[in-house]
Amino acid sequence: MLLLAAAFLVAFVLLLYMVSPLISPKPLALPGAHVVVTGGSSGIGKCIAIECYKQGAFITLVARNEDKLLQAKKEIEMHSINDKQVVLCISVDVSQDYNQVENVIKQAQEKLGPVDMLVNCAGMAMSGKFEDLEVSTFERLMSINYLGSVYPSRAVITTMKERRVGRIVFVSSQAGQLGLFGFTAYSASKFAIRGLAEALQMEPLETRLISETTSVCKPEQVAKQIVKDAIVVTMGLFRTIALFYLGSFDSIVRRCMMQREKSEIADKTA
Amino acid sequence: MLLLAAAFLVAFVLLLYMVSPLISPKPLALPGAHVVVTGGSSGIGKCIAIECYKQGAFITLVARNEDKLLQAKKEIEMHSINDKQVVLCISVDVSQDYNQVENVIKQAQEKLGPVDMLVNCAGMAMSGKFEDLEVSTFERLMSINYLGSVYPSRAVITTMKERRVGRIVFVSSQAGQLGLFGFTAYSASKFAIRGLAEALQMEVKPYNVYITVAYPPDTDTPGFAEENRTKPLETRLISETTSVCKPEQVAKQIVKDAIQGNFNSSLGSDGYMLSALTCGMAPVTSITEGLQQVVTMGLFRTIALFYLGSFDSIVRRCMMQREKSEIADKTA
Repeated sequence: MLLLAAAFLVAFVLLLYMVSPLISPKPLALPGAHVVVTGGSSGIGKCIAIECYKQGAFITLVARNEDKLLQAKKEIEMHSINDKQVVLCISVDVSQDYNQVENVIKQAQEKLGPVDMLVNCAGMAMSGKFEDLEVSTFERLMSINYLGSVYPSRAVITTMKERRVGRIVFVSSQAGQLGLFGFTAYSASKFAIRGLAEALQMEPLETRLISETTSVCKPEQVAKQIVKDAIVVTMGLFRTIALFYLGSFDSIVRRCMMQREKSEIADKTA
Repeated sequence: MLLLAAAFLVAFVLLLYMVSPLISPKPLALPGAHVVVTGGSSGIGKCIAIECYKQGAFITLVARNEDKLLQAKKEIEMHSINDKQVVLCISVDVSQDYNQVENVIKQAQEKLGPVDMLVNCAGMAMSGKFEDLEVSTFERLMSINYLGSVYPSRAVITTMKERRVGRIVFVSSQAGQLGLFGFTAYSASKFAIRGLAEALQMEVKPYNVYITVAYPPDTDTPGFAEENRTKPLETRLISETTSVCKPEQVAKQIVKDAIQGNFNSSLGSDGYMLSALTCGMAPVTSITEGLQQVVTMGLFRTIALFYLGSFDSIVRRCMMQREKSEIADKTA
């Protein structure tokens, strides 16, 4: 028994030694940091900008609509904690053309210094049955949600690597963790973000993945959250629970299908 | 002690009862079935076509290059098991325009009947550091690998749902289960396929249409040779963790899983571990699969953490070596 305990202890220490590269990185200091938020004129992006601003960061908001940008800027500036803080607004479509995005980042860096944190929050959702979604939706969602995160990240990565400091945040979705009925195009785009982030993480830099919560949450709450890695001990239990959830999703889908068919038959005989 | 055992038994029976909707679907009969394979003129796609043909299916090969299509057709026809079998070749770029793809499927269905199984194997890989990859690569890989799977699937889904039978196979990759150094654009496109497939499976399950996502490892194909030409050192070293497989083996496994309607298709012991580890919220098609996942996940996650540690040290070593040689060059 003692031998077993000793063996466990040795194994545990070896484990700690071997996973030491995975030890948490040093937290980024927000006061005075330059944070760029795409999709920062509304929703989660705007709340993330407010949260960072409250902690002393300098913000660059990137979005398409200039009026919404200015409105968001006014709202964010109400939370300033000192006189030096600045909110810069730049209007661009982050999914259209990489060169435009690169210029925007250059402009922002000329005014507020190198980017310390990039939050890719520009995105949209669209749902519908696979065969009912317009064909162009698949490309459009992928373009906005995925390419619209690739381009800004690409524009800041070299400087971040040179300075050996930086954070890149991708806003995926719980629909980027599991595929749900009606979300073929959307889930695909959000899964893609995860693949990008996982691969990028391995290339030396800090990246952080955020996911929304399901129930309609206040965007302020979401802005405060960070996803934690699945804990080893709970995985098996969670998978069991997950199987029950999947079973219930399937029965919801079946019931709706049967209901739809019944009403179609009723319409025909009526 | 006896009470505990009894409680477990009851729980187990309840579990089986509740997951009974997850019991495996009826296998698809390949003899006489119409199988469409995109990317069927070479590599894994061609081997899948051969495997299905050997089992009596009628094949439609879809690819861009007409010469490669005809060559593949000749090769496949050598494996015929009866006089009725047909291999149809149609040349199109499945990622360009949905309407073209829809027409191709229509043509194929006019000649060989409704599509029983669609294998989305058209794809390509490209690796390189995130900032070194050409910017257009991100869109191109997503277009070929993802949209090139969306369009054919979209073209066959309505008929499959009406007939209440069908299989759609998506060929992802182990790089679609984990992101690897150098594969930012490629992993993203292969992850996207998984998101699409999971959502689609939830939609079509009541219609007896089953989706299979295959996660092949590095496979010895012309596509792989092409991929290796520009592969960064770190990617190559990390990829050596798993061995290169033959496309025939990969194809056999994929066809077997597709016939069964298994959502996950993987090859080898690393494939098994990765699939169990990354199953997430993916559906299962058999109770044993579910039980295996539940039991092994914690252990596999522990093993995975060690793997990740070793990948990180490979990346760090390469980075330090590169810096040393840069300093050496400067002082020389």
